[in-house]
Amino acid sequence: MSSADQSGTRSLADRVAGRLLQATVLERLGIALASVTTAILIGLVIVAAAGYSPILFLNNLIVGALGSERILARTLRLSTFFILTGVAVAIAFRAGVFNIGVQGQFVVGGLFCTVSILWTAPFLPTGTVGGIGLMLIGTVAAAVGGGLYGALPGVLKAYADANEIITTIMLNFIAIGVVSWLLTNPLRAEGSTNVQTERLPDYVGLPPILFGDSSFSIIGLLLTLAVVAVVAIAMTRTGIGYDMVTSGYQAGAAVYSGVDAKRTIVATMTFSGAVAGLASAVYVIMFQGRFIEPASIHTYGYDAIAVSLLAANNPLGVLPAGLLFGGLNSSSSYIQTYSDVPVQLIDGIVGIVIVFVAAPELFRMAAKRAGLGGEDR
Amino acid sequence: MSGLEYARHRGVRLVGLVLVVLAALGIVGVVVFDVPLAEVLADGLETLASIVTPGYVARSMEMAAPITLAAIGGLYAEKSGVFNIGLEGFMIFGAFFAAAATYLVGAGGAVHAWAGIGISVLLTMGLAVLFAVLLIRYKADQIVAGLGVWFIGLGLVPFTAAVIWGSRNSPRLPGVGRLTVPGLSEIPFFGRVVFDQSPLVWLTVLVAVGAWIFLYRTQYGYWIQAAGENPEALDTAGIDVNRVRYATVIFSGGLAGLGGAVLLAHSSSFVGTGQTMVDGRGWLGIVAYLFGNYNPLGAAAAALLFGGVDMLQGQFQTLNIEASSKLLGLLPYVVVIVVLTGWGKTQVPSSVGEPYESEE
Repeated sequence: MSSADQSGTRSLADRVAGRLLQATVLERLGIALASVTTAILIGLVIVAAAGYSPILFLNNLIVGALGSERILARTLRLSTFFILTGVAVAIAFRAGVFNIGVQGQFVVGGLFCTVSILWTAPFLPTGTVGGIGLMLIGTVAAAVGGGLYGALPGVLKAYADANEIITTIMLNFIAIGVVSWLLTNPLRAEGSTNVQTERLPDYVGLPPILFGDSSFSIIGLLLTLAVVAVVAIAMTRTGIGYDMVTSGYQAGAAVYSGVDAKRTIVATMTFSGAVAGLASAVYVIMFQGRFIEPASIHTYGYDAIAVSLLAANNPLGVLPAGLLFGGLNSSSSYIQTYSDVPVQLIDGIVGIVIVFVAAPELFRMAAKRAGLGGEDR
Repeated sequence: MSGLEYARHRGVRLVGLVLVVLAALGIVGVVVFDVPLAEVLADGLETLASIVTPGYVARSMEMAAPITLAAIGGLYAEKSGVFNIGLEGFMIFGAFFAAAATYLVGAGGAVHAWAGIGISVLLTMGLAVLFAVLLIRYKADQIVAGLGVWFIGLGLVPFTAAVIWGSRNSPRLPGVGRLTVPGLSEIPFFGRVVFDQSPLVWLTVLVAVGAWIFLYRTQYGYWIQAAGENPEALDTAGIDVNRVRYATVIFSGGLAGLGGAVLLAHSSSFVGTGQTMVDGRGWLGIVAYLFGNYNPLGAAAAALLFGGVDMLQGQFQTLNIEASSKLLGLLPYVVVIVVLTGWGKTQVPSSVGEPYESEE
C-alpha cells in the first residue's frame, strides 16, 4: 500500500468527518433557533391571550435589549453573567455530570469574594495598586468558594453515589438560606436596614470604559471571553479536560482506558463551581460593589442551564446563547418599567426554550414533514 | 437474597441512618444554637413528649401529604422507565390551578375548595399529557425536559397569577377544613391525630395504600414494573410498553398536581413569590421515593420524616429553644442530603431514561 493511497483515504475520511461535523453543527444551530423562535411565538400568544398587545410586547423585547447605549451596556452586563454561569454548567454537562447547583456556587463565591476583599482591604494600600490586589484576592476567593461548594456534591456523587441533581438543588436552597442568615446577622452592614454587606472600597471596581456606565465595564466582558477561551482549550487540549469529555460521552470506555471516574467527577464539579464563582466575582466587583440578599439575586445559575443546553454544552456556543439571554433579561427590566405585562413571562419563555431544546426530535420530525433536510440518516 | 437477609440489611441501614440524623441534629443544636443539650437530655421523656404533641404529629402528616402524593406519582413514572423530574413544576401548576379554580368558582367555602382541587388535577393531567408526548413520542431528554417544566412553572404561574390577581399572591381562599369525628376526637393523642384531621391527609393515606396494592398485587402493576425493568419482554408478551408509560407519566403529573392542590388547601392563599409556595417539595418528593426504595408506603414514611423535620421549627419556638427560623427552615434540605448520602444506592429500574422503540 502506497503512502499516497493512505493520504488519499485519510483526506477522504477527513472530508466526510468534516461534512458530518458541519451537519451536526448546522443542525444544532437550527434546533437552537427553532426552539427560541417557537418559545417566543408561544410567549406572544400568551401575551395576547392575557389581553396585552403582542406587537407592543415584541417591540419592547427588542427596544429593551438594544434600544440605547445604556440599555446595550445593561444587555452586555447581563450577558457577561450568563456566559460565565453558562460555561460553568457546560463544563459539567459535557462531562456527563448534572450541575444544577451553579446558583448556590455563585452565591457562595460572591460571599467569599466580598468578605475576602472587606477583610483584607485594611492591610493593603489604597488606590489603584491596592484595588488591583484586592480584586485579585476577591476573584481567587470567589473561585475557591464556588469550587469548594461545587466539589461537595461531586464528592457525594463519586463516593456515596448520591444523585447530584438532587444534592445540588438542595445545596442551592441551603446556600441561599445560610448566606441570607449571615447577611442578616453577623455580616450585615452597620446601620443598614437592607440585608447586605458593607460596600467595597471605592477603588475596587472596573473602570467604565466605552459605555460610561458604572455597572458595566468592557474589561469585565473581555475577562469573561478570556475565561471562555481558557475553558474551551482546557476541555479540548488538556489531559484532564479530555478525561472529562470522554467520561461524558462514553463512561465505560473512559474507565477502561484508565480514567479514574470518581476523581474526574470531583474535578469536573470543582472546575464547574470555580467558574460559577468567577461569575460571582464579576457580579460583585463590576456590578454590585457589595453582596446583597441572595434570595433577591436573579437566578443566573438556573437560566445558565438553558444557556448551556442551547449551546449544546459547547463553551464557545455559550457566547451567542449568553448574549441572547442577556438581551431577554435586559428586555424584562425594560418591560417591567415601561409596560404592564408581568415580567415573569420571560422566565416562562426560558422554560419553554428548555423544553424544546430537550426535544430535538420534535424539530427533526417537523423539518422532515416540511421536506427540509429529511434525507439525513 | 432471602427475605430475612434483605430485611436485616435494610433495617441496619435505616437504624444507622436515623442515628446519624439524630447525631447531626444534636451537634447542630449544641454548636449553632446553644441548645442546652444536657438539660434537654435530663428532661428526657418529658421534653420529647412536649415536642411530639398530637398537634405536631397532625401537622407533620399535613405537611407530608403533598410530598407523599408527588412521590407516589414520581415513583410510578420511574417504575415504568420514565424519570419525571418535573414533579416540582407540576406541583407549582397544581397549587396554582387549585387556587385559580377555587377563586373563579366562587371562593365561598369548602365546596369550592374541593372543586378547585378536582379541576386542578384534571388540568395538571392535561399538561402531563403534553409532557408525556414530548418524552415518549419525541424522545425528549427526560432530565432536561423535566427541568424545563420546573422553569415554565416558576415563570408562567406567577405571570398568570399577576394577570388574575394583580399580584403574584392570591387573596385569602377557603380550605377544606378538618374532618372531626365527634366523641372519638376526644381520645387523648389519637383523637387529635386520627379523628380531627384534614380529609386530604386520609385521601393521601388511601392513595398510598392503593398505589402499593395496585403496583404489587395487580396485573397492570406488574406491567408497569416490567416496562421499567424489561421492556423487551413486556413487548414480546404483546403489551404496548409506551402505552403503559403514557399512563404512568400522566398519572404522575396528576398526582403531583393533586399534591400542589393539597398544599394550597392546607394554607390560606397561593404564594407565587420566590420559589413559590411549593418551595422544593417536589424535589423532596423525588428524594422520598428514592429513600422509600420505590415503595409507595416507604415513600409515604420518608415524606412523614421530611414533614416532621419541617414542623420541628414551630415546636422549637413554642418550647423557647433559641433558634433562627431561617436556619431551621433549611433542615429538611440538609436531611435530604444526609439521606441521599446514606441511601444513594437504590434499586433504580434498569431501563429508566431510555426511550423504547418497538421492533415491529
